[in-house]
Amino acid sequence: MNKTLWERIWETRTGYLMVVPTLAFLLVFQYYPAVSGLYRSMFDWNAGLAGNFIGLSNFVELFTDDDVFIRSLKNMALLTIWYLVAFVGLSTGVAVLIHRIRNEGSKYFFRLFMILPVIIPAVVLILLWKFIYDSTIGPLNAILIGVGLQDWTHAWLAEPKIAIYAVMFRNFPWIDGVSVLILLAGLQAIPVEIVESGLLDGASGWRRLRYIELPLITGQIKLLIVLTIMWGVQEYSAVWAMTQGGPIDSTQVPGMWMYFNAFRISRMGYASAIGVVMFLITLVATILNMRYIRSQEY
Amino acid sequence: MATRSESIAGGPAQRQRRGLHRGDAWRTVALGILCALMIAPLIMAIIISFKSPSQFTRVPFLPTWPMRWENYEFAVQIISQFLLNSIITSGATVIGVLLLSSLAAYSFAQIRFPGRTFVFYAVLALMMVPASLTLVPSFVLVRDLRLINTHWSLILPWIAGGQLIGILILRAFFESLPGEMFDACRIDGATDWQIYWHVALPLTRSMLGVVAVLNILGTWNNLIWPTLTLPERKMWPLTPGLYSYMEQYYTSYGRVMAGLLLGSIPLVILFVFTSRLFVEGLTSGAIKT
Repeated sequence: MNKTLWERIWETRTGYLMVVPTLAFLLVFQYYPAVSGLYRSMFDWNAGLAGNFIGLSNFVELFTDDDVFIRSLKNMALLTIWYLVAFVGLSTGVAVLIHRIRNEGSKYFFRLFMILPVIIPAVVLILLWKFIYDSTIGPLNAILIGVGLQDWTHAWLAEPKIAIYAVMFRNFPWIDGVSVLILLAGLQAIPVEIVESGLLDGASGWRRLRYIELPLITGQIKLLIVLTIMWGVQEYSAVWAMTQGGPIDSTQVPGMWMYFNAFRISRMGYASAIGVVMFLITLVATILNMRYIRSQEY
Repeated sequence: MATRSESIAGGPAQRQRRGLHRGDAWRTVALGILCALMIAPLIMAIIISFKSPSQFTRVPFLPTWPMRWENYEFAVQIISQFLLNSIITSGATVIGVLLLSSLAAYSFAQIRFPGRTFVFYAVLALMMVPASLTLVPSFVLVRDLRLINTHWSLILPWIAGGQLIGILILRAFFESLPGEMFDACRIDGATDWQIYWHVALPLTRSMLGVVAVLNILGTWNNLIWPTLTLPERKMWPLTPGLYSYMEQYYTSYGRVMAGLLLGSIPLVILFVFTSRLFVEGLTSGAIKT
């Protein structure tokens, strides 16, 4: 029974061999870049050059001397709050609507339909909306003119005051299929007895939602909040494809600003510092969320 | 279960149960309108994709005849190279991810090697490291490894990142399998490699499908990374390819829309063949949290 540690390691050597490929990939392509990103954020570093260690100067510059970065943080906050409303709020509404439909056929149809935004490549939707917003030939302005609202037409993605809202309100009606499916799975997992006994106690409609269903899908909602915040902080492919951060940096988000610094003006150390700030924001948001939103058990 | 509670509660419950689903009509209408709005941009794209430039100028958003199928012929020629690149890169990635994550998951779930918990958490911790932290150093790494302008610059980092979720899902599945079965195999003299290949993998086929679908969705939609590591556009996968296609032919609206629609087809085909795995994959992990 009393084997030494070495004997146990030798006996289970297959176990190590099986995780070696995984660890090799993770060390090279995940751990090394992550550590290197943290380290390089303290350098004045251009591609190809060794770079000078400058301590926390990059971070000081970000928060005291970089108006574009501050604006990008504000845009990020605005977009993330909006994504929370759309991906968590609206999706909960849609999931509850689908869940309460009695006709199995139409219920199945709507559930299947929610897959649509997932199987259409994200870039196709982004590019279609870029076209919809086009100032001269886009259908949005055409519709506005058609109903007699000429004054409301805009160069949606080219006017600094409006562009960020155009990016934000793309993909109308903003339904996120994955969120709806996750919430539906949660709703369907609620035991029938609980809902029925609630109904006997007079909990129907809003009260059924407020006191029975919502508390029992807090787990799913919590998961969606974490995922949405992580995504909202990181996401910049929509901005990249629609405006590249312009006009005059009005749609800049941290990811886009990091991209610009790293690959357009070759300030790699400074860009790494932006990456570190984004990492810290997601970390704090996730920890807070895990701590303060508790799920209910039945 | 439902019958039991009915018999206990008796008549009034029956009436209440009907109240459980009142108002189907307005719900169907509301959801129907939402679905129509969701699909509207695609309808628009389909209509425009059949127009010549002059037809678009005259009647931009309503169908016109004759339908210009040649827009699709034009788009196919350009899109097919991007599609091939996507199949190569996403395909190689998904094979690597399935192999590595199933091996590691089997080891974590079934072999009690010293340090197992520590190693598992070292893997799990990476779930918290966002792509933004690693973007710049990953690019420098790939450049220093001389992978720029090869498809390996996509495949290798994607395998490294994609295996995390695979390990999570598969480990949970391997742990749910009865341990006695594996012990019986060992008593019969099977090595862990044999058990992994002949017993564990065949049992986990549908879970492997779930991991594969999730992984393909992730790599397929990657827009920015390929544009960094692949200077030559003819190497680009479909997602950045569609972006550059639209940039290049922006004013030939019919051709642009035909290209975007064609570019959407592969994932639709994948979905048609794996719809159950799709839904399972997208909602996996959501029940337990």
